[in-house]
This record gives sequence, structure tokens and C-alpha cells, in this order.
Amino acid sequence: MPLSSPLETIPIKRTPFQNFWRIFTQNRMGLVGLVALIAIILVAVFASALAPYDPYSSAGINSSDIYQPPSPEHPFGTDDAGKDELSLFVYGARVSLVVGFFASFISLAIGGSIGISAGFFGGRTETVLMRFNDIMLVIPDLALMVVIIALTKPSLWNIILVIGLLGWTFTSRIVRSQTLAVKSKKYVLRARAIGAGNRHIIYNHILPLVLPLLLVNAVLVISAAILNESALSFLGLGDPTLISWGQMLNYAFARGAMSAGAWWALVVPGFGIVWVVLALTLLGQGLEQVFNPRTESHHLVETKREERPVPAVLPGPASSAPQPLLTVTNLSIEYTLSGGSRALAVDHVSFTLQKGEMLGLVGESGCGKTTLMLGLLRLLPAAGKVVSGEVDFDGHDLIALSEEELRDVRWKGIAIIFQGAMNALNPVRTVGDQLVEAIRQHDPGKPTAALEARVSELLDLVGISAERKGDYPHQYSGGMRQRAMIAMALACDPQIVIADEPTTALDVMIQAQILELLSSLREKLGLSIILVTHDLGVVAEMCDSVLVMYGGVMAEYAPVDRVYNAPQHPYTRELLKAFPDLADPGKKLSSIPGYPPRLDDLPAGCRFAPRCSVALERCSRDLPGITDLGEEHIVRCHLVEPQ
Amino acid sequence: MSEPLLEVVSLKKSFSAEKPSLFFGGRERLVRAIDGIDFTLERGEVLALVGESGCGKSTLALTLMGLEKPTAGSIRFDGQEVTQLKPAALKDYRRHIQMVFQDPYEALNPTQSIEEIVAEPLLVHGLARNKHERRMLVLRALEDSGLKPAEIYLDRYPHQLSGGQRQRVVIAGALVLEPRLLLADEPVSMLDVSIRAEIINLLAELRQSRQISVVFITHDLGTVGYFADRIAVMYLGRIVEIGSTQEVLTGAQHPYTRALLSVIPVPNPRLRRQRIVLQGETPNPIDIPSGCRFHPRCPVAVEACRVTDPPFIEVTPRHRAACLLAKVK
Amino acid sequence: MKRTRFFLKKLAWALFTIAFVVILNFFLFRVLPGDPARQGIRDPRMTKQSIEAVRQRFGLDKPVINCFSSLNPLKTGNCFINPFETQFFIYAANLFQGDFGISFHYNRPVVDILMTRLWNTVLLIGAGQILAIILGVSVGVVAAWKARTSLDYGALSLSLLAWSLPTFWLGMIFLFWGSNNGFPIGGKATPGMSSAPLSEQIVDILQHMVLPTLTYTIIFMGEYMLIMRSSLLDVLSEDFILTAKAKGLNTFQILKDHALKNAMLPLVTVIALNLGFTMAGAIQIETVFSWPGLGQAIYEGVVRRDFPILQGAFLMIAISVIVANLLAELGYSMLDPRVQSD
Repeated sequence: MPLSSPLETIPIKRTPFQNFWRIFTQNRMGLVGLVALIAIILVAVFASALAPYDPYSSAGINSSDIYQPPSPEHPFGTDDAGKDELSLFVYGARVSLVVGFFASFISLAIGGSIGISAGFFGGRTETVLMRFNDIMLVIPDLALMVVIIALTKPSLWNIILVIGLLGWTFTSRIVRSQTLAVKSKKYVLRARAIGAGNRHIIYNHILPLVLPLLLVNAVLVISAAILNESALSFLGLGDPTLISWGQMLNYAFARGAMSAGAWWALVVPGFGIVWVVLALTLLGQGLEQVFNPRTESHHLVETKREERPVPAVLPGPASSAPQPLLTVTNLSIEYTLSGGSRALAVDHVSFTLQKGEMLGLVGESGCGKTTLMLGLLRLLPAAGKVVSGEVDFDGHDLIALSEEELRDVRWKGIAIIFQGAMNALNPVRTVGDQLVEAIRQHDPGKPTAALEARVSELLDLVGISAERKGDYPHQYSGGMRQRAMIAMALACDPQIVIADEPTTALDVMIQAQILELLSSLREKLGLSIILVTHDLGVVAEMCDSVLVMYGGVMAEYAPVDRVYNAPQHPYTRELLKAFPDLADPGKKLSSIPGYPPRLDDLPAGCRFAPRCSVALERCSRDLPGITDLGEEHIVRCHLVEPQ
Repeated sequence: MSEPLLEVVSLKKSFSAEKPSLFFGGRERLVRAIDGIDFTLERGEVLALVGESGCGKSTLALTLMGLEKPTAGSIRFDGQEVTQLKPAALKDYRRHIQMVFQDPYEALNPTQSIEEIVAEPLLVHGLARNKHERRMLVLRALEDSGLKPAEIYLDRYPHQLSGGQRQRVVIAGALVLEPRLLLADEPVSMLDVSIRAEIINLLAELRQSRQISVVFITHDLGTVGYFADRIAVMYLGRIVEIGSTQEVLTGAQHPYTRALLSVIPVPNPRLRRQRIVLQGETPNPIDIPSGCRFHPRCPVAVEACRVTDPPFIEVTPRHRAACLLAKVK
Repeated sequence: MKRTRFFLKKLAWALFTIAFVVILNFFLFRVLPGDPARQGIRDPRMTKQSIEAVRQRFGLDKPVINCFSSLNPLKTGNCFINPFETQFFIYAANLFQGDFGISFHYNRPVVDILMTRLWNTVLLIGAGQILAIILGVSVGVVAAWKARTSLDYGALSLSLLAWSLPTFWLGMIFLFWGSNNGFPIGGKATPGMSSAPLSEQIVDILQHMVLPTLTYTIIFMGEYMLIMRSSLLDVLSEDFILTAKAKGLNTFQILKDHALKNAMLPLVTVIALNLGFTMAGAIQIETVFSWPGLGQAIYEGVVRRDFPILQGAFLMIAISVIVANLLAELGYSMLDPRVQSD
């Protein structure tokens, strides 16, 4: 089966700039800002062509022209000296923009240099520069500018220089933290490892990564410079020989525009300033979307699901055989991707969980195992939706329950330990506090003494000294945080605990401790556990049954013995061959060519077919159905289907 | 037999624990990241360096690369002492020893094309006479890393490649200078299981075809079983056991090695082993325990272990363990 | 113990910064051509006695500072003079005793004039900031919660607009509209109100405060809303929020007990960083509305070339900002337990 090269599916050469433009143009705000900015720049450049009169000359003006409202001869009215506001406006644009851009150029150059030097060289250099930066940050900018210009001459270049020399303080902070972030990246280490010098590294690695943020910051700096110039001019410190919008407002204010009712003298120049600054702000928002994209969805949304009538309590068991604690039937979860298309991240998955059973959910990245677990408790993000299936727990279909009813089941019936406990605990609340919260949520009346006792008991259960309940998560080590998460999961005596990759990023010995803990808790408390992992060794040692997932689809589901000793699905077989076995150290590891499918690029037919060495023709056309091989062994593969 | 490619003797590296402040002087507290390491590496040999976090393996890698200056001890590469090299000679040394990193997503500059990334070492060392020659060398390195046809990768960017492909680019970038030694720091731990073997097999093949020696740093003993010639186990800045793969995996003498081996999960449900799960965590390298540094967590420690820092005991001529209870064969 | 060390370090740094500003202030007013001391002497309003007093007070016949007899850095002087006999020391000593000089225009000690001004500014900024924070945070929270709905886009647009307005211009627009609609045209109180009963005085002051405070609030509300929104969105996509949801908490509980405290942290930082900008706003608003605060004092100092007032007001503004910054940093450290343990 020829392996499709991933690169051939991306025909266009996507340089970083093309990437940038593509994302930037998706954001309307940014585009609007850019267009508006270009418009006003053009106005300033072509001022002499656009202005009907020359605002610097008083030719042809007499006293009756003062403060005339807008009219055909003067579309924007006239000012206190009888000059045409429109002409003043377009010429004023020049000064305001020139000051803004030149001054910010100075600020950006200074801020960029200081930031990069401080971040890159570190040590004393950094300390001195940043302390100086802190001082300059604290000193109020406008006040200092006012003082300096008042004591010197209010000329154009003076103003540009003063605004420029004082406007770099935010820039340097941002540049420094970005430099530090880049410096810690491995590709900088690699550059050093190949013998590159400082200059090479700064030029080739630091600058390209700092420039985008500098660009975003530049927008802010230019806005600030323009606002500062107008404020200074308004206060009477502008260059008296030049027209700027701020200067126009100064005259309007000082020369009685308000008492004369000449609102146009106020609105017109102000409108200019707002136009430019708003354009820059919108442009900045657009740029931020590209360089610092923020997810605009969050966890507080209710998981979407297909509407369905709430069933009455499910019919009781037909036989007297022990009923499973949890029965998942044909669960399918759909994701809406950024382009708008939809894909099934979980496709008709079914499994059961008996009391006291440990089920291993195995798969590689993108197989949908985490999505499946989140879906059980309807904790999916906004892009996810449960489109079909049932989750029968304790006599209710969890998918059909209302959100309020489901909240009662969460944690009390089924608890979940998330991947990477580092961030799963709130950093600004103590660990004990968060444990108490879990208990109180499902047992509101519990008296404080009993709460404290229970917290100590839980911590003790997982091997953490009870004295540490007043500590914050960052004061715990990685292994301890994971134990704290386990303690919290047990707080309400759940029947099922889902552990999603509980030992990723932990050392081997800590992993062993955690797994041993889970095992003993299972025995002691009669817990049922679903262990989500990519580690086949862990599953073999701890689990009773295994569900192997690939590309959102159930590949194989069987008791652990059968999966390891008689695997039927080609993926399971290959995966076992690729997994190292310490008991057989000479075993040569094989790999599966290609890579796991991405959600936006799912193959038609069997998801594993492109990488399967024994695939038939129909495998790439039809998704295989579910074959029950007996002895609780389920496989989804065309090769095992009865003819 | 010719002398070893790499010879490390009593290597030590300490860091001070306090940051420099503007006004007050900080108290000196030492983090003894590496506290006396000895080993040798032959040409074309693969040595697996195994240890958990805090054992000093990353610091060791950086020191071997010359990116950190050792506090004491010596490193001899191809007979030449490299710890005190002047910048020009150090740069030259860097041609012979290259690193492969753990995180394929962070090891490549997202603003550089694949060609630029792989060509960078050539530019730094001024090795190609013109752009065309550079390109030829880049193509060859890409092909040797299994990226075929190499041409289509030249003007692609990292974000367009999968994890496995990126790691191959990292390896190509290391190969282009034709090094004698590759330091691979957890090169596969961030890749999917089904792809790991690819990269390991690539390294094995490179070792065969180019006689490159490999120091393979990992926390996962399982992956090196068939690939490594020798295994060295590190704990708190020291090598506590070193020997051939066979000897260490089947006849480990140090209690720490034995514990590690017993807890690494094995994909065989019928094999229920006796697991030695150590309690607590690796101590901070600022506070190294007295005597044998492992004794507080050791399941078989005796009185003498608290006071005596055990020397290496030769179990066999090639297998040594730093434990008072190690048995000589 | 760690906390006191932290506090002391921050306090020491604040004092160092104040010292820097004092030195800067001194040199600004001596170095730049508009040297007030010498200007003062040439000012025709000064009487002979006051000129002599100025000469004495500033020690104009004495060397400026050790090693430099004048301000020309290339012309060195005697380093081994008594440091207490330099102009700089005299200046610093005066400052320390609360002597900021005598205003040219009012002919009264600067510090007397500015102290009342200080409280007026605090009143105005205080009211404006508090309202801005309350409104900005509330709108920001709602916008983040209802992200990507039309409510969010509306709030976002208005906030971006508010942020883009020049402070003084918004003030002028309000003043213009207000003066035609019954609002007072400036100042803090109607003349002659000082003899009225206290309650009436307060009402009068409040009436005068409405428009300037409104201006202030609108300008800052925009920024706070944007910060709150983005910071809350960041927090709401963190893992611990998912944990809270998995524990069975409802939306309100999650917002109250988990999200808000974390989301407020960047806002506190921004408020602290913004203090200089806050003062810039005060200068502009007070000028437009003739509100008798420190900002207006700066304006007066410029327009009337009353340098003692200008210098004193600048120093006071700078010191207020430094102190406020210190308080904000301490406040932040109490909210975020991770701060002191680094």
C-alpha cells in the first residue's frame, strides 16, 4: 500500500509570510484598521492636493470669517482666525502623523535594543538595564514631557525627541521577555551547539522571533505617541509654527470656540485623532490575533448534544448476572474544525465496565481517547458535540440527563484525573481548600470538623502528610501534585475513576509509585478504573480489559490476555511489535510507516488502511463493522469478518 | 586497540543556587549536578545513559558539548583535552560532536525553512564554497536521515511536518557536519510509540554506516535494549552502574538499577513480577546524602552505607557497580 | 518572615526611585535653559527682597555639586568641597523639610498650594478609577463569558473606541455639551458656596465632578474591559477550570471561586503599570474642566512660567505614582501566592 506523503497534500508553498497574511485577513478588525490607516496616511501625503485653501496663509480672510459653521465654501467650517477647517485638518494630519511615526521609531529602536540586550546577555547587564527600565516606567510620562518641553523650546524636533526618548519603557519589557522565551528554546541551544556566536544567534534566531511582537507593540507605541503629541499641543506646548490636530484643539479651547458654539472646531480635529488611533488599535487587534492567538472558547460552555427525549428510568436487567457499572453504547462525538468542516473524533465506540474492573484505553495521539472520556461526562469544549450513543450509569443515560442532574453525577459517581496535574489545580488556592470544595459540593451540610478530618484522611490515603494541606500547588513536587489529584478524585467516594495519562511527564519510579497507589486503592475501596494511556506495558500489568483506539474508532476490545497473546487487529499487532519489552531486550522494535491521522484529514474507509501492511482494496473504501469473536473479544476489521 | 573516542575522568560540574542581586551578596549554595563521572566511549559504540530527573544527565550532555565549563575533571576527545579550549579550537571541536534534542517541536526555528535549518552549521563553519555546494550537502544529510525525496523538503517549514519528520530534520542538521559523536537527549520520548522505532533504527543504521558513536540519554530503559552496546545508570550526579547491555539488564548489581528494571512496565500480562518501588523522590542535588548517596531510599542498605561513599566494584572487567554489596563474578 | 523581607526590598527600591526622581528634578530645572532660579531673578514681578531670598534659598553663589562648579560637565571644579555647601544639598535639604519653594505667581509657599491640589486630584482620580474598575470588570466578565456573541462584539467595539479617544478631547466634548445643558462650566465648586451648609457644598462639588469623572471613567473603562476580557478568557481555558466543572460546580460557582481571582491578577498589574497614564489623564482633564488639582497646577506652571509650582507639582505627581505603584505591587503579592517564593 503506497504511503501517501503528507507533503503532497499541501500543494501551496506556505512561507511564514503567506501564513501570516492568510490568518490576518480572516480577521475583519485588522483589515478595517489597515485600510483606515492607509487612508489617513494618503490624506496627509496628498494634503496639498486635497486642501482647498492654504492654511498657512491668511490671504483673503476677513473678520467675518471667524467661526463660520460648515458651508459649501468651508465644508468643515472655519476656526478662530477664519481659516478653513478642512485645510487645517489635512495639513494637521501631516504633523500629527510625522511626530507619531518618528517619535515611535526612536522609542522602538531604544526599547528593542534594551530589551534584547537585557534578555540575551543576562547577568549584571540585565539587572542594571531592567532596574533603569523600572524607574522610567514609574515616572509619569506626560508630566515629565511637559516639564522638559516647558523648560526648553517647543519645536517639532524637540517634541519628537522627547516623546521618543520617553516612550520605550513598555517595549523593552515586552522585548526582553520574548528574548528570554526564545533564548530558552532548543533551537538556540542547537545554534550554540554547532558553534554559532552571539551575533549569529541574535540575527538569525532572536530577531525573527522578536520582530512580530515588536510589530504588535509598535502599533501601541505609535498610538501613544500621537496621543501624547496632541495632549502636549493642547496644553500649549506644541510647535507654534505648525498645525497639528492637537494645536487646533488648543486654539479652539483657548480662544472661545465653546462659548461661540463652534462645535466643528472641536469635532473636526478630534475626529482626526480618533480616526488614526482607532485605526491603529484595530490593526493591533488584528495583528494580535495572528501572533498571539487566543482561544475564544472556554470550558464553561455546556456540551452540545443531539436533542433526545429523556427516557424514564432504564428498564431493569433481563438476567440476574451482575450488571456492568457503566455501559457505553455507540458513542459518537463530532468536532467542528476551524474551517467549518466537521469530523467524527469518536466513531461509534462501545464498552462496559464492571464493578472493580480496570479498563485500559490505549491509543496514540489523535485517537480520540481523551475526547471519549470527556464526552462521558459531557465536559467537551465548544467545538465538540455528542451526536449519538448512550452512556448508562447507575440506571440513567448520562447523555440524556439535564446539565443540573449531571452535575450531581460528576465527581460523586464518576471522577476524572486529568492529564498533567500541573495545571489541573488552581494555583492561587490551597490544596486543602480545593479538597474541601469537592467534598462540600456533594455534601453541603457536612460540619467543618468532619471536613477537616476527611481531608486529612484523603491525603493520608495517598501518602501525603496532612500538614501540607495548607500549601499551594506550586509548593508540591510533580509526583505529589498527582497524588493530590488522586486524593481529590476520591473525595466523594466515586464508583468510577477515570485516570487520563496519570503518569505522563513523571519519572519512572514516581510512575511506579502512582500506579501502585492506584492498584492498592482499587483493592481497598473496590474502585473501577478507566486508565487512559499510550503505554502498553502499564496496561498489561494493571488492567483487566483493553480497548485499543485508532483514529477515533474502536480497533480492538478484549480481555487483556487475549489482546496481548492473540491480537486480531493489524494495528494492535503492529503496536505490540513496536513496543519495547524488557523481558526480551534483544527484540528489534518495528515501527509503523506513516503517522496517525489528523482530524481534518481522516481517510475514507478504515482509518488504519493507509498504514496497514495487509490491507485489502475494500479497506480504503468501507469502514469495517463490528465483529464479535466471542469470549468478549470485539474487533473492527475487514480481515476478521466472516465471509 | 586504538584509544577510545571519548574519555571522561572525574568530571564535576556545580552551579550556585542563588541569583546575582544588585545590592546584597547571595549566600553560596552549590547544586552538584555532576559529582564525579568516569567513562569511556569507543568509536562506533552506543552508550545508553539512563537516569531520572535530577540525576544530572542533561548537565552531562551540555558539559560534553562544551556548552558548560566543568568545575573539575577532564574530557579527552580523540586524545585531546577539550575542557580548556580557546574559542576557536572549541568551535572546531563542535564539528565532531553534535546533539539531537528531545522536543522536535521546539528544536526547529519556525521562521526558517528546512534548507536553512540544515545548512546553518555549514554557514557557521564556512564549510561550503558556494550555495550550490551547500545545497548538495543539505540534500545528502536529508537523505541519510530517511527524508526522501529530499528536494521537496528544502523549502518547507517545520509546521508542515509531522513529529517524526521533524526529528529526522534535527538529525539531518546534526549529520551535515559529519560528526564522530552524536549526543541524543531523549530523542524519542515525545514521539508516538509507533514512530519511535523508526528514529532508533535510523540511529542504529547511522552507527553502522558511518561509525558514529552515540550517547543515548533516556529515562526509558526499554527502548535501548537492542540498540545500545553498554548502559550507564546515573543517580544524583554519579554513574552508579555501567556495563554491557546484557550484563546490566540481566545481572544488575546496584539496588537502584534493580529497582528501575523491576518497575518498568512490560507488555506481557502473564508476567507478574516482584516490583521494587522506591519510596520518596530523588533528593535535591543541593543536599546530597552522606555516605552512599542512594542509601536513604535503598531497600537493602546496611549500616556501612551511611558512612562510606562506595567506590566502583568490578563485577566483571566491563561491568562495574558503585555499591558495597555488589558481588564480583 | 519572607513577607517582611519582600516588603522591605520593595520599599527600599521605592525610596531609591524617589531619590532618583529628586535628583532628576533638580538637574532638569538647573540644566535646561529655563533655569527657574535665574529666571526668577529676572522676573520683573520679583521684589528686591525676594530676589535676595531666592539667591539665599537656592544658594546661587555656591557650587552646584561636588566636582562641578557649574553645570557644564566638561568644566570640572573642586571635588573636595563640603558637600553640604552645594546647591544640590541645599535643594535636597529644603525638600526634606517640606520646602518646595515659593510660587512666582501666588507668592506663597508651593507646598501649601499643592497639598490641597493633591487631595483634589486624588478625589477625582479615585472616583474615576473606582468607577472604571467596577464597570470595566463587570462588562469584561460578561463579554468573556458570552464570547463571540453579539453582546461580546458590541462591548468589544465600544471599548476599543473608548480606548482610542484622546482624554482631553472627550472632556472638551462633554464640557461643550454640558455647558449648554445646565452643567457647571468648570472648577470644583461654585464661587460663594464656602459659606453654605456642608451638605449643599458636597452636592455642589459632586455636580462639578460629574463630567470630569465621566470622562475619566470612559477612557479607562475601555482598557480595563479589554484586559479583563482577555485575561478571563485565558483563565477559563485553563485545566483547573475543567477540573472544577468535573467536580460538579456550576458556572456561577466556577466564576466566583476559581476564575475571577486568577483573572484579576493581570488587571492589578495593568492598573499599576498605568499609574503614569492615570496622571496624564488627570493633567488633561483638570485642565479642560479647570479642576484645581495637581494636573491643573502643572498647566498653570507652564502657562504662567511659574517654575516653582511646575517643579513642585511634577515632584508630587511622581512621588504619588511611585507610592501608588508600591501599594499595587504589595497588593498583587497578597493575591498571588506564587510571587514571594521566587
